[in-house]
Amino acid sequence: MSEALAATQLAGQGGDSPVRHALRRLSVYLRRNARFYLLWFFVVLLYVASFNLLPLAVGWAIDGLVEGVPRAEVFRRCWILFGIAVGGGLLRFFSRQLVFDAAREVEYEIRNDLFAHLQKLPQSFFFRWRTGDLMSRCVNDLNSVRMLLGPGLLSVAQSPILFVGAFLAMSTLSLKLAILMMLPYPAFILISRVLGSRLYSRSLAAQQSLSSMSNFVQENVAGIAVVKAYAMERDQADRFEEANEALRERSLELVRTSAAMPAVTGLLPAVGLALALWVGFGEIQAGRMGTGALFSFTIFARQLTFPTFIMGYAISLMQRGASAMQRIDEILSVMPSIRDEAGSVDLERIAGRIEFRGLTFRYDDASRAAALDGIDLVVPAGTTVGIVGPVGAGKSTLASVIPRLFEVEDGQLFIDGVDINRIRLASLRRAIAMVPQDSFLFSMPLRDNIAYGLPADVPFERIETAAQRAQLARDIEDLPHGYDTLVGERGIMLSGGQRQRTALARALALEPSILILDDTLSAVDADTEQRIQAELDRLFAGRTVVVVASRVNSVRKLDQIVVLDGGRIVERGRHAELIAKGGVYARLAAEQAAEETRAERERRLIGEGLGRAVGEGA
Amino acid sequence: MSSPASGRTSATKAQPNARPTDLHEEEELGRAYDGRLLLRLWPYVRPYRRQIWITLLLFLPIFLLELAPAWVVKVGMDLVLAGEPTAGGWANAALAGAQRWLATPPPGIPVAVWLACLYFSVSVSLGLLSWLHQVIMATTGQYAMFDLRRAVFAHIQLLPMSFFDTMPVGRLVTRSTNDVENLAEMFSQGLVALVTDVIKMLGFAVVLFLVSPKLTLYTFAIVPVMAFAAFVFRWKVREAYRAVRVKIARINTQIQETVTGMKVVQLFSREERNLADFDRMNADHRDAWHQSIRYDSLLFSTIEVATGVTMAVIIGVGTGIAEAGILYVFIDYMQRFFMPLRDLSAKYSVMQSAMASGERIFQLLDRTPSVRDRVAAIPATDPAVAGSVEFDHVWFRYGPPADGAGEAAGDAAGDASAGAGAAADDGDWILRDVSFRVAPGEKVAFVGATGAGKTTIIKLLTRLYDVDRGCVRVDGVDVRDFPQQALRKRVATVLQDVFLFSGTLARNIALGRHDLDELAIQRAARAVEAHDFIERLPAGYATEVRERGSNFSTGQRQILSFARALAHGAPVLVLDEATSAIDPTTEAAIQRGIRVLMEGKTAIAIAHRLSTIRDVDRIFVLVGGRIVESGSHDALLAADGVYARLYRLQAEREEEEGALAARPA
Repeated sequence: MSEALAATQLAGQGGDSPVRHALRRLSVYLRRNARFYLLWFFVVLLYVASFNLLPLAVGWAIDGLVEGVPRAEVFRRCWILFGIAVGGGLLRFFSRQLVFDAAREVEYEIRNDLFAHLQKLPQSFFFRWRTGDLMSRCVNDLNSVRMLLGPGLLSVAQSPILFVGAFLAMSTLSLKLAILMMLPYPAFILISRVLGSRLYSRSLAAQQSLSSMSNFVQENVAGIAVVKAYAMERDQADRFEEANEALRERSLELVRTSAAMPAVTGLLPAVGLALALWVGFGEIQAGRMGTGALFSFTIFARQLTFPTFIMGYAISLMQRGASAMQRIDEILSVMPSIRDEAGSVDLERIAGRIEFRGLTFRYDDASRAAALDGIDLVVPAGTTVGIVGPVGAGKSTLASVIPRLFEVEDGQLFIDGVDINRIRLASLRRAIAMVPQDSFLFSMPLRDNIAYGLPADVPFERIETAAQRAQLARDIEDLPHGYDTLVGERGIMLSGGQRQRTALARALALEPSILILDDTLSAVDADTEQRIQAELDRLFAGRTVVVVASRVNSVRKLDQIVVLDGGRIVERGRHAELIAKGGVYARLAAEQAAEETRAERERRLIGEGLGRAVGEGA
Repeated sequence: MSSPASGRTSATKAQPNARPTDLHEEEELGRAYDGRLLLRLWPYVRPYRRQIWITLLLFLPIFLLELAPAWVVKVGMDLVLAGEPTAGGWANAALAGAQRWLATPPPGIPVAVWLACLYFSVSVSLGLLSWLHQVIMATTGQYAMFDLRRAVFAHIQLLPMSFFDTMPVGRLVTRSTNDVENLAEMFSQGLVALVTDVIKMLGFAVVLFLVSPKLTLYTFAIVPVMAFAAFVFRWKVREAYRAVRVKIARINTQIQETVTGMKVVQLFSREERNLADFDRMNADHRDAWHQSIRYDSLLFSTIEVATGVTMAVIIGVGTGIAEAGILYVFIDYMQRFFMPLRDLSAKYSVMQSAMASGERIFQLLDRTPSVRDRVAAIPATDPAVAGSVEFDHVWFRYGPPADGAGEAAGDAAGDASAGAGAAADDGDWILRDVSFRVAPGEKVAFVGATGAGKTTIIKLLTRLYDVDRGCVRVDGVDVRDFPQQALRKRVATVLQDVFLFSGTLARNIALGRHDLDELAIQRAARAVEAHDFIERLPAGYATEVRERGSNFSTGQRQILSFARALAHGAPVLVLDEATSAIDPTTEAAIQRGIRVLMEGKTAIAIAHRLSTIRDVDRIFVLVGGRIVESGSHDALLAADGVYARLYRLQAEREEEEGALAARPA
């Protein structure tokens, strides 16, 4: 089936074009559900038979009536007609259900595969692809593929058989009339195809207008404070008017086309019937055809209408489905560059020694300079390292390659002396916990967010301990449902500091050998941060800790500090050494100290101190 | 590790409305007909009543044209079989004249050709008229809905801020888009279609009966069964489909969330469990579809079976040769009778959701804007006090049934100014008897803990809310005596959370002021040091802002908001200083920007930076909604009050912590 499909779609296209590649992938899914499709094909054949027998049976029964055969015989013919009608209905039911269910099954499989595949792709992929784009492929394009497999396939596969069957059936009545009747169909398939694709593109345009108007309203409401503060109401109303008008016009265009559909559809049986009347009468009068046959022809003319028009629409569906599949295929064809290779080892217990050997890394865009350039660094197990440097120096990238969020070449990064590309991902990431900059939380209870990296049956104490260590326990008490409070997109909004501490608790709950803090505590207030630090000092014992910080203060006490600039290590040593050296680090420290007295500490003073002073004074 | 010194971000007031929460919002369905609602809809339809009359008038010829084609065929059959049009039933007698006309072609044209041409032209006219009917009906709906949508949007913009505090954004979007769309459906395939369909079916029933009472009685025995089945199946399809929609929404949310949080997913090796969860949702969705497919297919088959079975019955009870023509008419009408039946329940559902949507829309339109313009004209102001700001014994709280937290609690519709006097309980006032006066050109700062009422002062000043007692004056005029637009053009506000609109950077600075040319925009940007980073962007000022400014850093967004305020050149500046931590270089730029911004203006700042506080002429210390101290930095230190105490406290702490990062030798 897929071969035929590919052939219809790819007429005139040679080589392994993207569409062909996509359809080959689709055919894998079809083959997997081959039983369904074979059964369906069989049902279709039976259905076509009953579909074309019905008009004949009507004519036969009418003939009985007209020719005055015995009453019992007329009844018998009516019962047969009755049987054909019921049988045809049942067959149609099975046919639709089979092919639509199969389409849903394939949709289900593709969606699962897409999801699984996305989870395997490296971070660099998600830099390149915007979420909205990925979503539209997972939602809209998959929908189009399902339409291809459901109504598209149903009609495109069934209609030709239907027409051949109808022609054969009609020719038993009158070959001349049968040929005449079939003549207009090709033209109507063409008309319906034009109409169908116009219908599609107009409904798409209307939908787009609606969604761009939604976006506008959404933005207006989300930014209502600015709209009001800057007296933008009139300007916004004008813009809304434009969107509103566009939507009205697109909708009207759609209406004009969709209303034309039934009008044009009615034309086809009209042509058929006019022909039947014109030629049929003569045939009957000449005795070449019975009265019942005229009935049969009128029924044929009417019941072939729907398949004709749906066929034009179905061809559009097929084309759209094919290009949608191509877009899905684009994602599925991206090789997961970070995966377990044959022969990768499962490290039972990772001690936490990290070694960079001339590590160079660049993001996909080859034109850009290397994000990390010749990094040589050894972090012995159980020691701490601080990474500082200006914005864009590559600090976060350096931290992110340790849990293999980005692809690293062989021989450049070693954990416990083993090349990181040789370690099984699961065992590597089990041992490493990272608190990323943006502290993303999922829409689930707080408890599950903290236990995110843990097995489902983990004892609650472990979650509680992690929350306490991250100084989150007190905040949790204040939440409406404590640990069961729903957070994230669809839950309550935690403050920036609370989010960061939740992310910290999530990492601590893993009890990792290597802990990476990527500028983690920027939004935590000073007091809390101090408490966390006190706890961390204890937690750091026995772990390898990597601290990425934009502020010198966060790394002063660590065992070693590296200063990154433009992807290179420009300085390294302990705090005192680096200060004494009077280089980049010392300059950074001085700048920040000055800045801190002027801004940071004073800001803290106003906020924290005042609260406290008021608390004591009032 | 040492003292970390990353800034303190206040546990920012949670904005409960900042996310779309109705991803799973189930549409509640109720009545399919509500006279009160239709009455309220009437003003929007009224301008288009002529079109409605036209559609109603068109209905009659359409119905007649639908009756005609079968009759043409019948006459033909009669001619072939009996040599002349036969009469049976009452209708035939009445139509004898018409039949004779049909049977007599103009001279020179064979009767078969004549009938074929008649048949064809009737069909074409019918198609054209139906198309016209449908287009006029839908166009009317679209125009009426265009007006309604405009009314909804205009109304949303008039609503007070308190409304937006508790109303999820998504819901408002739904009101002005999907809900209106549902109502529009009512026009194209709901109410009118429903009524005309019912009339049409009745019409066919009557005609069928007139043609042949006997056949009609026989066939109508099965009609109720078929009608019932069709209705039930369509109903089931709809229910199954609603289940499907909820499930697909869940799936899409899951994909979106996983993609957004992919880093965490991978870091915590959650892939397999995620996939298992996803598989369950996905399978649920597929199974829900299975239901919907089953009923949909049943519906399709039922209609088909119905047609076949009626034919069998009609032929079975038919008698004799003369009836062939009548049988044809009968079969034709029977099919036309079934057609509307097929989607009667679909139309009923359209009505249901239209009514539900209408109800929600009118609920929204019934909310009165509590902040209203008392006057249309800009009041004359005394130039001597132009640029002055005064709070005169101001009391304020959010919404009538405010809870302890005080922030926008209770009903979103809460009219902030209602029941002020009745409020004897003391607990929930955000501002208590606040009085101060800022002279033209003076700069003041408000300091205080979170929840002390600092932000509220800004909101009252720009009249996002109205005071409960007392009075706020700008330029010596009660803010309630300004048209809101005029007031807000006098006061430029810089908010903590910088909101960027989609569109270009230039548009984000100009914010709807079309009189600001490129030069003015650039001048503003240059003054606050935004020009350099803007020029470095590939498209410069024409750079498109993506997803609410995600392509700009926090610091850049703040600086852009300064440019906005500066470009607007209002004499009064209100600044809610952001607390978020920013890298030192940007921080310095922000501070310089603030200084530029305040130059030559009356400035009121909610300050978090000491540099800002030092620059102002006077500091007000807010505690629990009252001003407890005011004066310059030095004066307040000398006064040895709250401000001084906190200053000393901080100094002690600094000593304890030891020196900051060592300075270079």
